[in-house]
Amino acid sequence: MTMTYIDKTTRPGGTLRRRMARLTTDLWLPAAVVVLTLAVASVRPQILDAGNIAAMLKSFSVMAVMVLGLTWVIAAGKIDVSFMQVAALANMICAWSLAQGWGWGAAIGAALAAGLVVGVVNGLLVSAMRLPALIVTISTAGICASIAAALGKGTVIRIEAPGPLAPLLDPVLGGAVPPVVVPVLLIAALAWVVQERLAMGRYIYAMAQNEAAVRSVGVPVVGLGVLLFALSGVSAAAAGVLLAEHLASGQPMIGGPYLINGLTVVLLGGMMVRVGKPNILGTLTATLFIGVLFSGTALLGLPDYQRQIIQGALLLIGLAVATLAARHHGTGGHRDGA
Amino acid sequence: MSRLNDHFRGAARVLGFVALVLGVGAVFALIEPRFLSHASLSGIARHMAANGLAALGLTFVVIVRKFDLSIAGIAAFAAMSMGALIAAGLPLWAAIMGGLALGAVLGAISGIAISYFELPDIVTTIAVGSICGGLAFLYTGGRSIFQNFFQSGITDLNDARLLGLGVSLWILLAVYAAAWFVMSRTRTGMAFYATGENPVAAHFSGIATRRFVALAYVLCALCTVLAVLLILAESGNAETNKGANLMMPAYAGVFLGAAVMGGTSVVATFGGILLITMLLDGFALMGVPYYYSDGVVSLILLGGVIAFSDSLREWITGLGLLRPRAARKSENRA
Amino acid sequence: MATPVLTASDVSKRFGPVQALRGVDFHVGPGEVHALLGINGAGKSTFIKILSGIIQKDGGTLTVAGREVHFRTPEDAIRAGIATVQQHPELVADMSGLDNIFLGRETAGRGLFARIDRAALEARAEALLARFAVPLDLRQEVGQMSAVEREAVAILQALAVDGIRVLILDEPTSTLTEVEREDLFALMNQLKTRGISIIYITHQLEEVFAIADSFSVFRAGTCVARMSVAEARESRVSLAELMLGEAVGDVFPPKAGAPAGEALLELEGLGRPHEFTDISLQARRGEILGIFGLVGSGCDELSKTIFGALPAARGTIRVHGREVALRSPRAALDAGIFLVPGDRRSEGLALSRPALFNVPLANLRRASGGFWALRRGRLRRDAQELTRQVALHPPSLTTPASGFSGGNQQKIVLAKGLYSEADIYIFVEPTVGVDIGARAKIYAQMRALARTAAVVVISSDCDEVHGVADRTVALHKGRLVAPGARGFSRDDLLMAGIMGEVAA
Repeated sequence: MTMTYIDKTTRPGGTLRRRMARLTTDLWLPAAVVVLTLAVASVRPQILDAGNIAAMLKSFSVMAVMVLGLTWVIAAGKIDVSFMQVAALANMICAWSLAQGWGWGAAIGAALAAGLVVGVVNGLLVSAMRLPALIVTISTAGICASIAAALGKGTVIRIEAPGPLAPLLDPVLGGAVPPVVVPVLLIAALAWVVQERLAMGRYIYAMAQNEAAVRSVGVPVVGLGVLLFALSGVSAAAAGVLLAEHLASGQPMIGGPYLINGLTVVLLGGMMVRVGKPNILGTLTATLFIGVLFSGTALLGLPDYQRQIIQGALLLIGLAVATLAARHHGTGGHRDGA
Repeated sequence: MSRLNDHFRGAARVLGFVALVLGVGAVFALIEPRFLSHASLSGIARHMAANGLAALGLTFVVIVRKFDLSIAGIAAFAAMSMGALIAAGLPLWAAIMGGLALGAVLGAISGIAISYFELPDIVTTIAVGSICGGLAFLYTGGRSIFQNFFQSGITDLNDARLLGLGVSLWILLAVYAAAWFVMSRTRTGMAFYATGENPVAAHFSGIATRRFVALAYVLCALCTVLAVLLILAESGNAETNKGANLMMPAYAGVFLGAAVMGGTSVVATFGGILLITMLLDGFALMGVPYYYSDGVVSLILLGGVIAFSDSLREWITGLGLLRPRAARKSENRA
Repeated sequence: MATPVLTASDVSKRFGPVQALRGVDFHVGPGEVHALLGINGAGKSTFIKILSGIIQKDGGTLTVAGREVHFRTPEDAIRAGIATVQQHPELVADMSGLDNIFLGRETAGRGLFARIDRAALEARAEALLARFAVPLDLRQEVGQMSAVEREAVAILQALAVDGIRVLILDEPTSTLTEVEREDLFALMNQLKTRGISIIYITHQLEEVFAIADSFSVFRAGTCVARMSVAEARESRVSLAELMLGEAVGDVFPPKAGAPAGEALLELEGLGRPHEFTDISLQARRGEILGIFGLVGSGCDELSKTIFGALPAARGTIRVHGREVALRSPRAALDAGIFLVPGDRRSEGLALSRPALFNVPLANLRRASGGFWALRRGRLRRDAQELTRQVALHPPSLTTPASGFSGGNQQKIVLAKGLYSEADIYIFVEPTVGVDIGARAKIYAQMRALARTAAVVVISSDCDEVHGVADRTVALHKGRLVAPGARGFSRDDLLMAGIMGEVAA
């Protein structure tokens, strides 16, 4: 007696309750962004000024670019804590190259190449040599930070001439929208397609679950691992280049705070759309959320350290909710107790 | 016979480590004779005391197969808290107890979240560290605390000597000796190791694995507080960035030691941190700028982990025997 | 006879000083189900790894359909039409069966950037299922599937490549219930009618007669016998003797001579919702109590409840006549209960550590004195004595547990149990993955234990329970099925465990 195998009439999400649940996981974070914006606006309407929106979108763009690659590294069950120092290194390389009299093209190329090299080294050490990802990336982070500081002998390098990216950061549409959001969103859309429609996206999530299974069917797991770390390096370096243009300088110590910011947005974003799994759309939304939060706390006059406490607490609460939700869903039910 | 063999192999590793330390020392002494001066050696001893305590704390966490990235944050918060207590006129011992109590609470928060509530270790400790880093600003908004420091006697921890050695070095040796005894010679140590090796099997052997994971984080935080206490004693004031330089040497010490000695242990960490501190101080003496120090430590850590990795060993033996890799793996399993 | 699909002649393989295979001759015909037998270390896994391209042979020839082949990678073997399903197939738990089947083969191009066409995948799945009718909902996540369904997904994954003629199944039944085993055999018979040859590795000798057409026996790195099942039946040859190369007596030790002593462990009305209800039984000093239950019958949960790893929702547990509250394995160990867990690799041993570390783990108090300090000399002597007692081979206290065979790993767990000085021993699936030679030794140990302690054997292997226990009960869907006054015969026990009925 055989049963039906693939019943085309009852697709997942058929019932109303399921659809509602689906809608909640998809929309809670965007809703939180709206609610937070309105809440801040009710006290400090300046948050919706054109200038403030432009500032928020600029930092959104930098942040989003920095963590696009990181999102997939974490989705694949690995960790990369070098991304913020890669951004700092790229930022300094850009400024240093310009100070040497190279053109912007060469400076940007050198910065991105540095990101690629660090990413490939991370990927080879983690995937091919099977070293612990945290130890590898913590070390490369330290090395990047040192080189970044050494380039400027411990201080900032100023950039005199604005570069070719300057128009991207110059707000248009009533001074509210820096054009850079367009390429950033396009790249994110492309990444979304790769994640959702191409084989690679599928392998990334399968790898986090059971790397041996993916390897055993002949998927080049080592190559994929190297690719993911390389993408993380390049995308962090691209953010560093944007920062060079934005700040008109190379700042060796700029990396530090981005570590917790980056992890917060990736993990917070992982609680939307695909629950428990970092994904591009979630990362973008969470970046927006953090941007509004930062702008709001600044407008409300909270000092930096209070924002840091709020953010740490937010990350901790988010983690707790995600972990408890995962346990509630019983995903661990049939698997071997890990 | 196999027992003798094991002892021999263990001794060979220790000897190798000693040779490495002597070799590094000799190279520095040749390049910069001041390396062997009294001031330089006592500086190494002092720095090693602070670095070594932080690394020891991390050792407990690594033995139960977890990570702790809150060291810098906890160090900053504890430093400012102890500073505030001293400034408020409390006696030194009370300030230290206050710092240790705070450390125990912070370690317990991470530990309980990770063991009992099963939150992921890396991100949880980053979050806790970040919160602590913010809380460090609570007392003065970030300004340095130095009131009462001189009167409190905290600087004696740095300056006083006992039998010709600095007090801080004695503290280090005493804490390491206690830790070595507990981890290598008692059933508590076995329970720690069993928890790290296979938590399920340890639980089925009647070991309270969650308690040991939580305890590892508490011990790590306590050691971190002691480490930053010695830093306060050396500098004579409390600032929010005290302890920012504790984490990298701690990781390098633990993992370099484990790589050379073939496993994480108190002795391995001691060797690792000795080597790291010598290198850091040696380079500083040679006039290498401060901003290279993290890079140097990272490079050494990465180099050590690569040099002693399984895959490199497999690759080298593969070159030697010209045997395909898969074959050797299956042989190991058989 | 038809020309063989796959032949191996004079295949040899050496690992360093060890000659793992020498002069192996082997063949399998089209549509033939061929069992591969041998104790651990006989060379059958090495041979399978050569056939599936994981390792390369040193000498000899392999032919597929008459043409010589050289496999350098698993992909080469698959291209030649030989697919392998590993003993524990690697699947992605939170992906659907469909996605697992085509994992890595979603598109012809097989690149990372190939676009995935869901409709095409579903069409391919339909086509696959049209060839091999498997009752399986492929939309379900693999993590939610039963063991046999996962095995079926793994088999379909192997067959999803065109042109597969030989399927190698490595101990597929080791985690299956008897009912599921029948389902798997039905699937195998179907593959057979499609002309696919199956090479089938098993430790369960009765399965050879149930499903195989022919079999080969490996011993000491070579193939010592190949015959058809019909021949074997006729000549009444003993498979166990062929495998061991010597005459074997009964694998089970004699039953207890003396009547059982006082009840050490008494369960009364023990229950956990949806798992088991109203379990009342006694384990007595001097006897082995056997509990037969299929996978999913509640056996595993029952053993963990008695061991304090799961809380009992209702009922009482009495040890030495006194009621105890077992809130943790620690409490159970203190009460004198030791569990030899079913999954020794993940639940019983610190694999990277030697016997000297593993043996005292469940009784660290005995290993230590004042200040919790370890008494290392005494510990070493005790561990030496106990590993000798359980006949650990090789008798090394310093070799990591992972370096031992399954049977010897089980002996380390046993030594750990002896060190814990318990008087109630619960064995769960004690001989899964243990070859026939080591199995007899483990049964003998259980019998020796039962002289002074109460032993409970919980297993899904009916012959094992019936063979080794003095008294047997069955667990069916969480309910205890107890025999009448005369006890269960082997067939009655099987009936009770599968159907939940006591034969009249």
